[in-house]
Amino acid sequence: MPIGKVHSLKKLIFQVLLLALPTVAFMCVVLWRLNNFYTILQNEWLSQGLYFAAGCVLALITYRYRFRFVTTTLLVFLANLVIYRSLQVINFGEFDSFYISVKFYIFFILFTTGWLAGYAFSRSKYLTIAWSALVLIAQIVLIAKTSDITVNALVGGIVPPLAYAFYMIYTAGLIRNLNEEESSFFKVIGKRLSIFALILLLLFAGILSLFKASFRAVEKEWGGSSQTEKKEGKGDSESMTQQGKNGGVENKDQSKLSGSLSKDKQLLFVARLDHFFGSTNIPNPLYFTNRYYTKFDTATQTFETDANMPYNDLFNPDPSQIPLYFKKTDNNVIKQSLGTLNRQVVTTEVYNVNLAPETFLAPSTAFYCQPVSVPKEFKKQYRSAYQAKMWVSDLNSAYFIYNPAGNAELESFQQERFETLRQVKAIEGPDKTFMDYYTYMPSNADYKRIGDLAREVTQNAETPIDKIIAIRDYFTSKDEFNQPLFKYSDNPGIPGMPSASKLNYFLFENRKGYCAYFAGATLFMLRSLGIPSRVAAGFSTTDRSSKNPGWYWFYQDQAHAWVQVYFQGYGWIDFDTTIPDVNTQQASQPDGTPPTDIPATYLVVEGEVVSTDTIKKQVTIRTAKILYHDSEFVSKALVHILTDASLASISADTGEVKFNSLIRGMQVTAVSHAEVLKTIYTKPKDSLTSVISRLKEPVPVDEIKIRKKDEKKEQQKQTAKKDEETINWLNILYAVLFSIAGLGLLLLFMPLLIWWWLNSKAKRACADPAEKGYHVNRALLYYLGQMGYPYDQLSPGSYAASIDQAFGTSLTQFHLSYQKAKYSKAALSESDLSGLQNFYQPFIKTVKARIPLKQRIKHFLNLYRTLHYFSKPKLS
Amino acid sequence: MEETIQIEQALANIQKLVSNIETVIRGKQSQIKFVLTALLAKGHVLMEDNPGTGKTVMAKTLAQSISGPHHEHGVAFKRIQFTPDLLPMDLIGSHIFDDIKKEFVFKKGPLFCNLLLADEINRASPKVQSALLECMAEQQITIGETTYPLEKLFFTIATQNPVETEGTYPLPNAQLDRFFIKIYFGYVDEATELDIYRDYLGIQNNLNHVKQVLTMNEILFLQQETEKVSIHDELVTAVRNIVRDTRQHPEITLGASTRSGITFLKCLKAYALVSGRTFVTEDDIHDITQAVLDHRLIYRTKEGKQKALTQILHKEMDRLRKLNLGKGNV
Repeated sequence: MPIGKVHSLKKLIFQVLLLALPTVAFMCVVLWRLNNFYTILQNEWLSQGLYFAAGCVLALITYRYRFRFVTTTLLVFLANLVIYRSLQVINFGEFDSFYISVKFYIFFILFTTGWLAGYAFSRSKYLTIAWSALVLIAQIVLIAKTSDITVNALVGGIVPPLAYAFYMIYTAGLIRNLNEEESSFFKVIGKRLSIFALILLLLFAGILSLFKASFRAVEKEWGGSSQTEKKEGKGDSESMTQQGKNGGVENKDQSKLSGSLSKDKQLLFVARLDHFFGSTNIPNPLYFTNRYYTKFDTATQTFETDANMPYNDLFNPDPSQIPLYFKKTDNNVIKQSLGTLNRQVVTTEVYNVNLAPETFLAPSTAFYCQPVSVPKEFKKQYRSAYQAKMWVSDLNSAYFIYNPAGNAELESFQQERFETLRQVKAIEGPDKTFMDYYTYMPSNADYKRIGDLAREVTQNAETPIDKIIAIRDYFTSKDEFNQPLFKYSDNPGIPGMPSASKLNYFLFENRKGYCAYFAGATLFMLRSLGIPSRVAAGFSTTDRSSKNPGWYWFYQDQAHAWVQVYFQGYGWIDFDTTIPDVNTQQASQPDGTPPTDIPATYLVVEGEVVSTDTIKKQVTIRTAKILYHDSEFVSKALVHILTDASLASISADTGEVKFNSLIRGMQVTAVSHAEVLKTIYTKPKDSLTSVISRLKEPVPVDEIKIRKKDEKKEQQKQTAKKDEETINWLNILYAVLFSIAGLGLLLLFMPLLIWWWLNSKAKRACADPAEKGYHVNRALLYYLGQMGYPYDQLSPGSYAASIDQAFGTSLTQFHLSYQKAKYSKAALSESDLSGLQNFYQPFIKTVKARIPLKQRIKHFLNLYRTLHYFSKPKLS
Repeated sequence: MEETIQIEQALANIQKLVSNIETVIRGKQSQIKFVLTALLAKGHVLMEDNPGTGKTVMAKTLAQSISGPHHEHGVAFKRIQFTPDLLPMDLIGSHIFDDIKKEFVFKKGPLFCNLLLADEINRASPKVQSALLECMAEQQITIGETTYPLEKLFFTIATQNPVETEGTYPLPNAQLDRFFIKIYFGYVDEATELDIYRDYLGIQNNLNHVKQVLTMNEILFLQQETEKVSIHDELVTAVRNIVRDTRQHPEITLGASTRSGITFLKCLKAYALVSGRTFVTEDDIHDITQAVLDHRLIYRTKEGKQKALTQILHKEMDRLRKLNLGKGNV
């Protein structure tokens, strides 16, 4: 007796081609990736894929016949078991036997998985869905194993299995349900699959392009930024600084704990710091801060800046975007800094040599920024300059912060500071959010270990400051062989292991690292003790020659990270626990000549270049804002001012440029130190126009600074800025909600939209009666169906009769004429023709008149009826 | 031009016939149409229902409408009541020894007529049933060495009681296939039933006074005209689809044959004519599918019998309704 078949050979072939083949291909990829993570698989993804394929195809062939699942699967299991046992019985060498049984074990698992998948595809709808879900989950697990999370990796990881899952569920059902005797079997499958692929493609492409910006923002937040990838030629090494977009150097956005640190001896900037001990001229240096790292992302092992940190006291203006001599102030940061004791306002001037123009560096807590002009003779040396003011704690003197590491002089000096801080017995933040945020640390075993170490190190310390000192001392302590416990190293040589805690490795194993390691370790140790702390990144200030007191030179190797601890009343206090680098104790860099002799500025004009005269070297500037004798004049109307730039130096962010690079439409700031302006004073009621009218044109200017190069760059900058904007989850939520609502709305109005379309088609004049009849018939069937009169099982004639009965129309007459037009070869009579042409609108009108508007609206919201109209009846 | 007149004559004749029968049989318009369809398609009709639903009256009225009480110019009408002890000879006739001529002469049985009412056909033994059905198919009777052709117009109306009734020999499927149409009579609606009771004698009286409205030639002419009814190719496709779907429907174990498809087409043409049209429409397909195909199919379950054909028909009707046969699309 032949065994009954469930599927024909044709179906089987389709199942193998359309289901098994993609599955095997997909599994091969999955296995290949699994091979990267699990050594037991021994890098034989190809043969493993074949095992799976064998199981899958065999199951498809088997279940084509009417075999029972349980019995056949048990038989397969049994056969495998017998082979497995016999493998153990046959005497190989002990090692070989183990090896072979492990291999067989893998084979068995993969074969069985394939077998089950094959069964699922062949017979069960639900099992196919389950299988697809399983594959999806496997892929998610794999993604979780990857450490570099970029949008591309994520999308690449998620989209294919998702598409695969949809594809499997759809195609398996399609093949199972198709009528195999139908001649158009191939056509139907081809058509459906291509439509399916198109929809899927549109869906994914649409979503991806729609949310691209959001994805990028998310990516930024996760820390897998594309900027790190851009770093060329540096291999695995890391530095505390990075190449800025405009060719300068800036502090890096994230401090990844990895690889090694590369340091260059490049002068970045020069600063004059107006901070001295008492009334002496002994300079009192301060560390220059660029940003704070308050969050540590465990997934990426990265410190992160967080725009939403509580009590955000980071003042981060872009000096290149503030017109010369105009000020930007944010007094809020003083309040947010939470420091009131031992504070004073300090001024600094920063002369940029190689920094990115948008970088702002100043000791914490800065609140004021004013770009100033570089004296003419120093223009070649310094690109730009700005003055900054900050609210500085006396306790943040660099001498207080340096890790003395045995330097007795420094240590005794620091005692003074510690005495002050010892008065704080326990640290309490302004509120709970603050404390929770700044003492947060991940809770897994790695961090617990750090916490244990912190408690052990600080067991004898009472006050917070003593604990900090204890931790600092721990880093400088010596081991049992009287060797330093920790060493400074720019190249700690930690292999880039995924998801291994580098800090743990640093603290317990290798004990070598650079500033970020020390700062990071200190941060977690402090946080584990409940002391609110954060990592500050910027530049350490070194005491240099006393030739120019108050002037400091900053080289690239001074890029630094240290810890800030919050003490109530004193605010954020700097602590540096990085031990000195014994290997690179070199002579300090030669200092240059500081820029001095800043001339008095009488007029600053900010505006747009209207026209230039290259011969006379005159520039007309359209302005709405000027500074004159230090007072600001603003008007709503734009005023033209002719300037004489024959003596002026023209500069852009990149340095000095030629006169002819001034182009119409450029945003410039013109500065005049001309003595002639000194004696033209302003009157109390002067406006911008009156001031300018009093000046003798052309007004001599000494400096023109180009602020924006051109529109394209500007646009790029804006998009870049947009990217940098921290992601607003609420906005994304809104966007998602909006698109869902839009989709819902579209669905809601779908019946109406379809009706409009059909209605317009029906109304349109059409010479061919059969064509006209078709459109009319279609429209009215749809309309009546939507109104709750589906034709269902009724014959067209009796349906027409029932409608006539309900509405008093003459649909039957129309129907007869239509049938005649549609199926009869005989010519139509005049009455038939006019009936066909003129039937539609009166009919719809009559029906409308019978159904109240409210009801009609309600009916048109009924999507089910629309679907019902378009659904094709099926033989069950 | 002549053709138009002819066809109009035909349509008028049918209308005459229908209204004449309607004076007697009330509330059974569709059944009347079906019977006439079978007549015009040169087929035979099987009526099934409980006793007393008007089957016999229907047959008699039709017979009288075309034969008159004395059938002089009309058709010959015979009625046989089938019983279990009926023999084939009782139908087809037998050779009887003629004492005078001293030879066997053939005495024609009731089958030699134009319109035969085979009442309660399933009460007769299979032997008799098959004798009748063979005649219906072949239009001739062979006895011994002689073949006797049947009348040119030979129309059988068979009635049968529901298969479940006691004392019946159910007709085998092959024989059911010979009937073009099988009609269920069913009970009339309330109002009509009341009417019938009110003049319960009236119907019998009417029956006696049913006029002969058509002659045999006219019937033959109608049969001839039926051939001329036009049927659109899409509707032929529809018939093909329906017939094929019956073979694929999971609830149907035996689908319709190709012969059923041909019968279907014949009936469609006849039905269109009976409905007063010279072309076949969707409605025709919808109306007669059940009557033409149902008795030819074997269903897996009772529920299947209820819905299978409806589903097939619904599927095909949906296709037809949404079909654009405008010139732009052909």
